[in-house]
Amino acid sequence: MSVIIIWTIQLILVPVLSPLFLGIVRKIKARFQNRVGASIFRPYRDLWKLFHKDEVISEDTSWIFRFAPYLIFTITLILGACIPLFSTLFANNVLSDFLTIVYLVALSTFFLALVGLDAGSAFGGIGSSREMTLAALTEGGFIFPFLVLSLLAHSTNLFSITNAISSLPIFDSTPIILTFVAFVIVMLSETAHFPFDNPATHLELTMVHEAMILEYSGKRLALIEWAAANKFLIFLALGANMFFPWGLITQSSVWAVALALCIFCVKTLLLATFVAVLESSIAKFRFFRLPDLLFVAFILSAMALFII
Amino acid sequence: MFTQLQIIFLSGAIIFLTTIFMHLVHKNSSLVSLYRVQSFVISALILGSAIEISSILLMYVAIWMFAVKVIVAPYFFNKSIKHYQLKFTSSTYLNTPLTVLVAALLTGFAYSHYFEPLTILAKENGSGLLLSVATILISIFLIINRKGTLSQMVGILSLENAIVSFAFLSGLEAAPSMQLGITFDILVWIIIASVFINMIQNKIGTADSTLLNNLKEE
Repeated sequence: MSVIIIWTIQLILVPVLSPLFLGIVRKIKARFQNRVGASIFRPYRDLWKLFHKDEVISEDTSWIFRFAPYLIFTITLILGACIPLFSTLFANNVLSDFLTIVYLVALSTFFLALVGLDAGSAFGGIGSSREMTLAALTEGGFIFPFLVLSLLAHSTNLFSITNAISSLPIFDSTPIILTFVAFVIVMLSETAHFPFDNPATHLELTMVHEAMILEYSGKRLALIEWAAANKFLIFLALGANMFFPWGLITQSSVWAVALALCIFCVKTLLLATFVAVLESSIAKFRFFRLPDLLFVAFILSAMALFII
Repeated sequence: MFTQLQIIFLSGAIIFLTTIFMHLVHKNSSLVSLYRVQSFVISALILGSAIEISSILLMYVAIWMFAVKVIVAPYFFNKSIKHYQLKFTSSTYLNTPLTVLVAALLTGFAYSHYFEPLTILAKENGSGLLLSVATILISIFLIINRKGTLSQMVGILSLENAIVSFAFLSGLEAAPSMQLGITFDILVWIIIASVFINMIQNKIGTADSTLLNNLKEE
């Protein structure tokens, strides 16, 4: 029974908490800009508002445009259920292989790029082109940190990796720190944050993620926005639990679950604060400088491979 | 909580990581801050060693090293940065991805069979020793790759820190009186190098060493 409850928490944790973390990041950024900023619960109200709005769909769009939001949202739900969040009880989950995770993320990116092209608008095309350029370079940078961790843990299963990393001697910490730096760069790219993208702007010269979803409105826009928030929390959880795998429960008692959830929230909150501070302290890079940064992430992971 | 061996390894790892980040940062103030972190770790290592063997002289060395490397040297650098508005480092010979690639290759070289015999010096901490070798090579590369004189100076001091870290990890520490002398040498070197930077800045108006190639005697 308790396992079913833990499974349910694992399934709903990401979609329930993701808008909150988005709100927290926006609030911190607003404070850095000397603004009061919107409430941290504003993303929930935005989603509610969008779900109750009518939507306009262009006649020129195909089935991809209509079904992609459901697919992208479902992928983020599956991802949220497959990664270590607060427990390592589901180590036998076959979808928890790091290559599956990387390619599920790539699948959602692929469909996002398709919907950008589907409507036939100029902005959508620009956004998709930029997104695929970045995605092609991000892929390597995303696989390599996990490759380093899996070589250290002798497993490709994320739950097994977290178990193994938490018991590694301190002498193995250097490659983990290097790959964490690489992972943070990849996370900023995948979740459309500074210096790769500015999620708060619709400036045609710079937008990447927002350009692809310009044609959406109403419920489908709500799903896409929610999926983006889920993806952000998934990456925060991966960063917090794969590289700092402490506080994950191995037993199913109520107090242990409550404590593990608190530790998960604190770890992800710290990482979210770091992202917000980073976003407030650096400028957005020119598009042609972004490949350099992604290449640095890739090389840092390669360097970690040498040290293992 | 941590054993002595683990602390020494962690210190070596911090020095290695700061050297990598020295290649990535573009602000001179960040470069100096990273050097300060490196020097603080080295001073803490010597202080720990002094406490362990209850040596007053070694404690003086640690305090003297802290004063020279963590306070005086960064003070001189920050003063130059402020006075000559050297906010950003001069450009590098290789761009950032290639710089990191070379650093990765140097790390791989340090971990190759060429340096493996060195691990005999510290069998329990062989990985840490090779990490120090990588730090030495990457520090030399920092001196070569940077065009700015200030960055080159920090590179030389980082190399000195890397050598001290290697000595610690391999158990080849010099006598306290020798360490005191070396630290005094470093202080004199910092003062002379700072005077040179100031003279170059005043006479030529730049701290970029590549521009000195085009100077002709009038």
